[in-house]
Amino acid sequence: MGSHDDLEMSLRALGEHVGPPTPPPADVARAVRARLESASGTEADGPRAPSERTGGAHGPDRRRWRPRKRWIATGVAVVLAVLLGLTPQGQAAVERVLRFAGIELQIGDPGPLPSGVPRALPGETRVTLDEARDMAPFPFRVPAELGAPKDVRVAEDGRLVSMFWPGVRLDAFAGVMDVLWRKELGPPFPQQVTVGESQGWWVQAPHGITYLPRDGVGAKDLARVAGPTLIWQLDLAGYRLEGVPDVTRALEIAVSLR
Amino acid sequence: MLVARYSAIAHRTAALLGAGEEAEDVVQEAFVKAFRHLSGFRRDAAFKPWLLRIVANETHTATRARGRRTELALRAGAEPERFPDDPEGVAIATDRRTRLLGLVRALPERERQAVVCRYFLQLTEAETAEILGWPLGSVKSRTFRGLARLREEVGDGLA
Repeated sequence: MGSHDDLEMSLRALGEHVGPPTPPPADVARAVRARLESASGTEADGPRAPSERTGGAHGPDRRRWRPRKRWIATGVAVVLAVLLGLTPQGQAAVERVLRFAGIELQIGDPGPLPSGVPRALPGETRVTLDEARDMAPFPFRVPAELGAPKDVRVAEDGRLVSMFWPGVRLDAFAGVMDVLWRKELGPPFPQQVTVGESQGWWVQAPHGITYLPRDGVGAKDLARVAGPTLIWQLDLAGYRLEGVPDVTRALEIAVSLR
Repeated sequence: MLVARYSAIAHRTAALLGAGEEAEDVVQEAFVKAFRHLSGFRRDAAFKPWLLRIVANETHTATRARGRRTELALRAGAEPERFPDDPEGVAIATDRRTRLLGLVRALPERERQAVVCRYFLQLTEAETAEILGWPLGSVKSRTFRGLARLREEVGDGLA
């Protein structure tokens, strides 16, 4: 008795009745948040950590996971955006928001990609590399791998510097406090990568990108489609490298900034 | 968002792999670790097995520290609703479950893990392989051997 299928069915049914009930997700999210916040603060254990359940050997273990400072700066902000940033009502289209190096990544269901021709950005002018360096209020570098850019443009009086090579575009901007770009992504999740000594994100799939002007006016007209993009930060500048389809090559270019 | 979506399966995975009462602690720590190690998450991979692998590793750490795992147990009050007016039917169904669970518990460690993942957690073979860190072939063979052993034991006893 007990054919193959019967046994498998019985096991699946049994699984429904095994194990303790699970706590409400909202409680879990709160507890996780408390642990993340406390790890970036002074104490290793969050207020909601069930210490009475924590075995003697498990408690000290937790301390070795305390993050490095650099990760706190970016990672925790990302995590809090993930955990807190969105109300249930706001989840329909956007599931997560990451802000990194002057770029806001909205991850969710972005709908159709923007259509139409890319427009000129506000105050976009063609300049020489030296002129761009004079205009930009932040220092930026040029990737040695690509040589001198074939075309250089600035927008909004140097808020954004864009360098062009055939099929490739590198944007540099002061990406520490300011948010200049919004990217709207569907799955898959962007890939976190290491660029030299800093972290970055690799966005493989075509996605919508919008330049966010300083005064916030007219952003919706500045949406366009972007190809594979690497974003990272070096010193005070944020960079986005667009048009290199291979992440390995994109990283080679990124680490060659001089 | 991630917590809300994966909390239940993460707790069940921790509990069924032996974390017992520490399941909540294990799961919270796993989420913390997951957020800190998103860099290890490949964009072409599914998030669920990636997270559950962290849960499984945390469970392993917790149970090793304790020196034992918590045995699988039927959830209190988890009576079948099919026989509301049939106490005898309830008793029989509960008895069958208890005995089948006893047989699963008695399986060799790896076969038990395979059966728990494949049937109790209803994960795919590929997910099970990733979570337990085994080759796909091992998932297949251990599941097969576990089922065969159970079928042998069940034989005249349960069905």
